[in-house]
Amino acid sequence: MYRHHLSLWGILAGLFLICLPSVSMAIEYSGFGGYPAYPQADNSRTESIFVHTLIPGAIQEEGVVVVNNTASSKTLLVYAADSTPSTGGAFACEQLSEPKDDVGAWILLEKSEVMLDSGTSELVPFIITVPAEPAVGEHNGCILIQEKSTGGEQSGKVNISMRTGIRVSITISGEIKRELSITDFSVEKDGDFIFLSPQVKNTGNTSIDTDISVKINSIFGSTKKEFGGNYPVLRGETSIWNYEFKKPFWGGVYVASFTAAYDQNSGAEVGKNTDNTLVSLHSPNIRFFSAPQLPAIFLEISGLALICFLTILVLRVRKNIKIIATTWVKKKIRSGDTIQSIAEKKAISWKKIARANRIKAPYVLKSGQTIIVPPKTKR
Amino acid sequence: MKIISETKNKWYIISAVLFLVFCVSGILGITLQVFASATTSLTQTINSGTLSVDIVDASFVTVASPTVALGSASFSFSCQTTTGTFGTASQKIYVSNPDAADGGWSVSLAASDPTNVWDSAGTDFDFNDPTTSGCADGADADSVGGQLTVDPSVGTLAVGECASCVVTNVSLGASASFSEGAVNSITILSGTAASNDIGDWTAIGVSLSQTIPAEQPAASDYDINLVLSIIASS
Repeated sequence: MYRHHLSLWGILAGLFLICLPSVSMAIEYSGFGGYPAYPQADNSRTESIFVHTLIPGAIQEEGVVVVNNTASSKTLLVYAADSTPSTGGAFACEQLSEPKDDVGAWILLEKSEVMLDSGTSELVPFIITVPAEPAVGEHNGCILIQEKSTGGEQSGKVNISMRTGIRVSITISGEIKRELSITDFSVEKDGDFIFLSPQVKNTGNTSIDTDISVKINSIFGSTKKEFGGNYPVLRGETSIWNYEFKKPFWGGVYVASFTAAYDQNSGAEVGKNTDNTLVSLHSPNIRFFSAPQLPAIFLEISGLALICFLTILVLRVRKNIKIIATTWVKKKIRSGDTIQSIAEKKAISWKKIARANRIKAPYVLKSGQTIIVPPKTKR
Repeated sequence: MKIISETKNKWYIISAVLFLVFCVSGILGITLQVFASATTSLTQTINSGTLSVDIVDASFVTVASPTVALGSASFSFSCQTTTGTFGTASQKIYVSNPDAADGGWSVSLAASDPTNVWDSAGTDFDFNDPTTSGCADGADADSVGGQLTVDPSVGTLAVGECASCVVTNVSLGASASFSEGAVNSITILSGTAASNDIGDWTAIGVSLSQTIPAEQPAASDYDINLVLSIIASS
């Protein structure tokens, strides 16, 4: 009977071990969104956004993979919209409720809504139909993924809903003009910070990937702080960036400069520069003074006072040395002379005589020794 | 005979147990491996990451219906301002970029429709009318005044759960006021191409300031729907 049970337990344990490896695990990133289904091998940016150069009337097949990595099933709206500039020149997309008259209107999605279980995704194909006579240059739009409202809005509050979008950049072939200009560069102080705001306007007909570099140098030329990055400046838009520079502890005079570099060649496109050297635009330098912080002011005043004190001290010592060198006379020590007796006769401190003659303790004078002493005072 | 009987009983039991295991594994959706396999193979799925924005609590768990409450105001014969904070310790703005937008991204706040108003039963006021800084009606299509100002620059930006990430090249937006047709979208934060390709960040303390026109009727149910968008922009 015992053996019978033993073999049963053995079989059950074996089956457990066989079943165990087949258990799958899934690692989740929270959130929902999407990504381009067909990235182009020669443009890594197409892994994140849709980029196409098309001719008028062209039809382009595309697809977006809609992903639900949240912990629950979701019904997600998938829709196209036109782009709109956000503050600071950032790229944003219009809302579902807004009328479409650019790229948003060119896109036809196969589905407008997908239901996805947690950790699943679905490819939603779409086509881009370029009108017969679009303006040459770049047009932007978006594919957006937004959770379908369940009507949970609360009254008396700001209700927030979330969505994820992917830029759709369509460049219509023709006379492409890539041109930027620096329109402003300001330096403003506010509280503990200095705000540097470069401003660039895209006067061309396509968006331009721009390398922005803002430098703060000391007046001697060494770079104290550098800001910047690569930013798209959208067609026809002005982009403003705001960089914060914490006021330096010691304060000082600084020089701020701003450079915008971009590929002016018409062959460049989103995510792809040509081999041409980038054109650099430079703003005029702005010299500004930053007051030291309060502890620094205290330390600086203390230091200044110390320097003044030491300077006066040095000047006095040098003056004394000069007087001694030019006016004091030699005296031969007789028997019975002491440094104190000589000092009394001359009416000065014996220490002064000791210092002038470099006489060390115990300050004993030998008969016949020559020292220098102040001259005879006139009576 | 006894040995044969015992053996038969044993096989009945074994068959019953095997049948039971198959049934249970079928119900649980567990796939049995080939019996002849001598090696164990653990399988694991890492789902494709996607750029996303969310409102999460202190433990990075999604807040189901995130809201922002502005400070209460009393009826006034003068134009007045209420303030609030978007992004708190219990409702953080959370951005996750699991290698999905290497070229840069931006998070912006906009109304679900630029023609929206702070809506209450029978009375409304605006969020995007710049006339006298929101104290009067004009400029836009509706007939109510009011303007909402968003100032992300006073907020605090931090790394989320990613231990090795940095906030370098991620920045909060500048203060701006909604203005219908001119400023429909306000940038909350953005990351350049040089920000961490795999990273997550939080933002709290974004200041909201709403101008309420003079003599705006008292009501406790003014609300407005805003959309927080994250866009893979370049």
